[in-house]
Amino acid sequence: MPKLTIDQRDVEVPEGATILDAARKLGIEIPTLCHRDGCEPPTSCLVCMVRVGGDHRLVPSCATAAVDGMEVESESEAVHQVRRTALELLLSDHLGDCLAPCYFACPAEMDIPTMLRQIAAGEMRGAIATIKRDIALPAVLGRVCPAPCEKICRRGHLDGPVSICLLKRLAADVDLASAEPYVPTCLPESGKRAAIIGGGPSGLAAAYYLRQYGHACTLFDENRQLGGRLRSEPQQDSLPAAVLDAEIATILRLGIEVRAGVRIELGQLAELQDRFDAVLWACGRTAKEQAIAAGLPVSQRGLQVDPRTYRMGATVGVASRSGTLVPDMPSRSGTPVPDRLGAELEALPFALFAAGNAIRGKSLVVRSVADGKEVALAIHQYLSGQPITGWPRPFSTKIGRMTHGELLQLAAIGPLSYQERADASSLSLRERARVRESDEDISSSSDTPHAPRPTPQTGIALGFSLAEGRQQAARCLHCDCRGLWTCKLREHAIKYHANPRRYEARRRVFQVDARHAEVIYEPGKCIDCGLCIQIAAAAGEPLGLTFVGRGFDVRVSAPFDRSVAEALSRAATACVAACPTAALAYKDCSALVPRFRKHPCASTD
Amino acid sequence: MSELDLRPVDAIVQRLGRGSDAAIPILQAIQSHYRYVPREAMERVCALTEITPATISGVATFYTQFRHRPVGQHIIHICHGTACHVKGSELIQDAFQRRLGIGPEGDTDAEGRFTIEKVACLGCCTLAPVVQIDGTTYGHVTPTSVANVLDDFLHHGQEPRTLSGGTRKISDGELGEIRIGLGSCCVAQGSGKVHQAIQQVLQESGAPVVVKRVGCVGMCHQTPLVELIAPTGSSTLFSKVQADDAAEIVLRHFKPKGVLRRARYAASRWLDRLWSDEIADPSIRHGIDTRDPPVCAFLGPQRHLATEHCGALDPTDLDEYLRHEGFAALRRSIERGGPDWIIEQIRASGLRGRGGAGFPSGLKWAKVRAADGEEKYVICNGDEGDPGAFMDRMILESFPYRVIEGMTIAALAVGAHEGLFYIRAEYPLAVKRIGEALEQCRRRGILGEQILGSDFGFEIAVKEGAGAFVCGEETAMLASLEGRRGMPRLRPPYPAESGLWGKPTLINNVETYALVPWILRHGAAEFARLGTPTSSGTKVFALAGKVRRGGLIEVPMGVTVRQIVEEIGGGVSSPSRLETVPIFAAGSRENGTVPFSPQPQRRFKAVQIGGPSGGCVPAELADTPIDFEALAQVGAIMGSGGLVVLDDADCMVDIARYFLRFTQDHSCGKCTLCRIGTRRMLDIFDRICEGHGKPRDLDDLEMLAQTVRAGSICGLGRTAPNPVLSTLKYFRHEYEAHLAGRCPAGRCKALIHYRVTDDCIGCTLCAQHCPAEAIALTPYVKHAIDQEKCTRCDTCRQVCPQGAIVIE
Repeated sequence: MPKLTIDQRDVEVPEGATILDAARKLGIEIPTLCHRDGCEPPTSCLVCMVRVGGDHRLVPSCATAAVDGMEVESESEAVHQVRRTALELLLSDHLGDCLAPCYFACPAEMDIPTMLRQIAAGEMRGAIATIKRDIALPAVLGRVCPAPCEKICRRGHLDGPVSICLLKRLAADVDLASAEPYVPTCLPESGKRAAIIGGGPSGLAAAYYLRQYGHACTLFDENRQLGGRLRSEPQQDSLPAAVLDAEIATILRLGIEVRAGVRIELGQLAELQDRFDAVLWACGRTAKEQAIAAGLPVSQRGLQVDPRTYRMGATVGVASRSGTLVPDMPSRSGTPVPDRLGAELEALPFALFAAGNAIRGKSLVVRSVADGKEVALAIHQYLSGQPITGWPRPFSTKIGRMTHGELLQLAAIGPLSYQERADASSLSLRERARVRESDEDISSSSDTPHAPRPTPQTGIALGFSLAEGRQQAARCLHCDCRGLWTCKLREHAIKYHANPRRYEARRRVFQVDARHAEVIYEPGKCIDCGLCIQIAAAAGEPLGLTFVGRGFDVRVSAPFDRSVAEALSRAATACVAACPTAALAYKDCSALVPRFRKHPCASTD
Repeated sequence: MSELDLRPVDAIVQRLGRGSDAAIPILQAIQSHYRYVPREAMERVCALTEITPATISGVATFYTQFRHRPVGQHIIHICHGTACHVKGSELIQDAFQRRLGIGPEGDTDAEGRFTIEKVACLGCCTLAPVVQIDGTTYGHVTPTSVANVLDDFLHHGQEPRTLSGGTRKISDGELGEIRIGLGSCCVAQGSGKVHQAIQQVLQESGAPVVVKRVGCVGMCHQTPLVELIAPTGSSTLFSKVQADDAAEIVLRHFKPKGVLRRARYAASRWLDRLWSDEIADPSIRHGIDTRDPPVCAFLGPQRHLATEHCGALDPTDLDEYLRHEGFAALRRSIERGGPDWIIEQIRASGLRGRGGAGFPSGLKWAKVRAADGEEKYVICNGDEGDPGAFMDRMILESFPYRVIEGMTIAALAVGAHEGLFYIRAEYPLAVKRIGEALEQCRRRGILGEQILGSDFGFEIAVKEGAGAFVCGEETAMLASLEGRRGMPRLRPPYPAESGLWGKPTLINNVETYALVPWILRHGAAEFARLGTPTSSGTKVFALAGKVRRGGLIEVPMGVTVRQIVEEIGGGVSSPSRLETVPIFAAGSRENGTVPFSPQPQRRFKAVQIGGPSGGCVPAELADTPIDFEALAQVGAIMGSGGLVVLDDADCMVDIARYFLRFTQDHSCGKCTLCRIGTRRMLDIFDRICEGHGKPRDLDDLEMLAQTVRAGSICGLGRTAPNPVLSTLKYFRHEYEAHLAGRCPAGRCKALIHYRVTDDCIGCTLCAQHCPAEAIALTPYVKHAIDQEKCTRCDTCRQVCPQGAIVIE
């Protein structure tokens, strides 16, 4: 029995065991992609590298036999660097979107594709839960949002984008009209208290999420009615007061103290210090003048905060120093606060945050709602004594712009083919412009949530019926990856902080073989490990799979340009299970997604 | 398309067998019949054999030899070996494409006459740049001579250029001997024609002379070579002999019998000349007078062990080999030595593998001998794929018996009874010679059941590669021999424990085996006396590039790089020029000719040793001795022995990119670091050479290179970064110049432009030759180059008689 050490820890393994086996025995987690018990080690991915005997060479632990006296190094920075390089190289040639383009177009980073699939399946309760993880005011936004998500929707280049905004509204309206509207679960009371100055979209959203984190919230607003600019800006036509009231009520139902008609000035902060552990300044664009009056730093647009954590003062730049975050969102940029003022703010017994138009001056409502969600996390991190990192940037590879031919390939996967969807497509823009008198599926409430509203693109539009909505939602091309929760490449890339854009590269052409009844094959996502080839051969597939070509151009494919449907007559399930990415995946993978879906930002639980 | 006749497939399968290891030979036979591999034929093979669709389509797409589309009538192979690259093969490729009207994406002309294929190396490095059309090789091709090459091929090309008929023997009254080089280089340069011409002259003149075909002399820069041995034994060497010259050479030295014959012969020659209407040979012609005085210098410092008796032995004549102590070492091993004695001799000699890594041969042999198992194999790795290396080809072609002897001794030592030659498909002559030699050996009881009357039996078969450089890696070669894609696997286990079909297998390189007989005949101590303490014996190098006298050389280990370049190679060569006569000659000049204006003398800059796995040794380190450790220390490797001399007109960034592109192209695609890592490195090179480099690129390049080197699965990947790392180490300033938008050597097209200087006399040659019409025809007036149209093909600079075109 060979005895060896891994990271200076002794381990004894049976004859014939690999270094990987030995590491597992010690509980050292060596990442693997191409390794699979029962298969010949392909030694292809090279993410399981370890260093042996202080040599400058590295070996794949999955296929290197443990030898008596071996000294193995696994969890060192040098070894991690090699693993990271292998991952970054694989990612540089990995053609796929982890998250759909609409996810990144939405300022609130809502998980739109999941919502669409839930609506298409008629799971309206699931859909509202998905929406409300990121958007506290969906019925409102369903009426006032200019829908940047639809501008980027890939379907837009074929037969018009999916009507995402109206579908969100549909889900929200169905929820509001239901006997028991959706209420999220809140964490136990933390004993911490937050004051939120301003009951507009960002303040409401912040209160909604802070409550869910278990913190007590008091919402101050100088007006008698909450809603802030949602009531003052000229959008009454499209946003009936009844809808706004109903949606605010769902937020207040979480147990939020409201101090309406109370005006708090920036200069009065000291008065709040006894009663609150954190203060969020969300009083809209008027904040700037107050800040100037109080001698606080301002940017061109409003209060100056750290762009990632929304915090004013001393913590500026914390998140950007962590090094793992992709810099973006120039709209949030502000020059760092001078140290002198930072010190003054630091002297306060609580942290001061600001969000929404208080820092932006003028922005979309959805931006304010997104700010509310993001600042809530930052405040929660502060209140619970965690490092304040702000809202995480989700890991995602990106395809970018697709050609018409590529889009047709993508469209050919769906439950309906592109051609067959001609009818459904007529539901898109034209349908939205149609004024409808009544709706048979949704019992309209007294405050008429389905009143027509003007939108910049379409003029007067009305919501969908439930049946129409399901059909419309089914138009989604499923740009997000079917392997979001199973992909080992993504999992390791997140763990090893691999940057998918580390190496500039010309991307491959998007292709997909969707001729199999249940399984699709996307060569662009394949990492050429060949596990499926082994499995198909072992299963005695008459045609099977093979590597075609050589070197950088090598691809797994069915022989003689035949389809995966012919190649995998019996081994398809086993191959999908073995595929370390989602190059081979079920067309309908909803069964693989956790029932209570994790947030796409949740990398590892 | 009409239905494909598949009956030949049935016959091929019948002939080659139904086992899965027959996949590659079957595909080769199919391709030689259909000129490509039709899918229907592959499906038919699957129906008839054990070979699965997955296997055959995987194999057929792995090896570059196999074509999947019908091709033109003739195939133009453009060599992109190192020597050809530094002498402008890219420009030749462009010129052929332009001439045939083939776009950048296509490979076949509209009429379907010619298909252009890039090849890694034709192994005729001293004739660079080289092009092969079907079986005909053209050397020293220039962009301007492309039209002539095609013309020549269409008129004469189809004539066979290989030699027919054996050695002419005259039993009595012999006056002397004529030796004609028969290496591929010589054949490529027309030694076949010369041989025919000499035969004819001798027949007509009746001079009693023995004409003998001999193997490679190594002086490839002087091919075709003809050596005359006078009856007195003194020899005269003629270089660059052409068919026309043959008669004169022969007649000057060997008088025809009888006066009448002499007169008749002279008259017929005169008439021939009068009436013959031959198109000028497209390759540069060399007069008989270019006898090279420094021949002695070239041969002087060399020691011929692996290439013993080079230029004197008829490669296929077994008797002659036997007369030169051939198979004496085998006989001694069988009769008095035995396995332990052999292994002890090899160990004591200090012989290390000549394939590149330099593993001690004695140790390897002992391991295979000690390995369990009745069945063992001995394999000769003849998959020499390094661009710029052709010593294995030469040894196989010129000394087939010596390699067979070495293998047989090895088999006796390790206890194997089956042997295999794995020879790359690009070496048809080597395959043929080995095949013939094996047949001779079998007939004479040197191979077979009871070798030399003993109870030791050994048989050798020949397998051809199919165009995959990576198959030079031993585990990939084994996969290929078993009929699979040539993908290397992780070692251990080493082939010595688990090789072909899982049996213990001894794999050595051609040169290693060729050294074995000499060692056993002269004794281990004699061999160890040569060379350095850690690197004993000699090493064969293919000397090419910017050197006056290129060729194959065998030198004792320990000689310095400088000795090779300066003493043997004669230093850096002056740039080649076209001997073209201008049409518009300046009126004021005498006789309408333009005086020759010499180009600046080039400066020795570096040698690239070891090909794509090796590195550059800069001129400052030229005193580094040839020794495994010393070379590794400066960042190069011995490799298989390609040695390319570079001068100051060579861009080191371009050289590194060239080698990286080669290995990247030949990566098997198995492991991430090599498959994608080398590609990303190449992306960075492409950016740098196109002037889009970023400051971060050099650090990225170095980091990637280190990682690929440390982590790749096989030798190809682990050594692929060497050219990058060694040039980054010694020539970082050139990389930095590229980042700043300059190519100091003037090679990188995107970073240079051509300019006409005031020396221009308005002769219009440049305008006439410019393929892109970028120079307006302005007789007697200084010309100008339209930078928009200029493709930087270098033609104008080459044809300018005044040296008035400069690169900036």
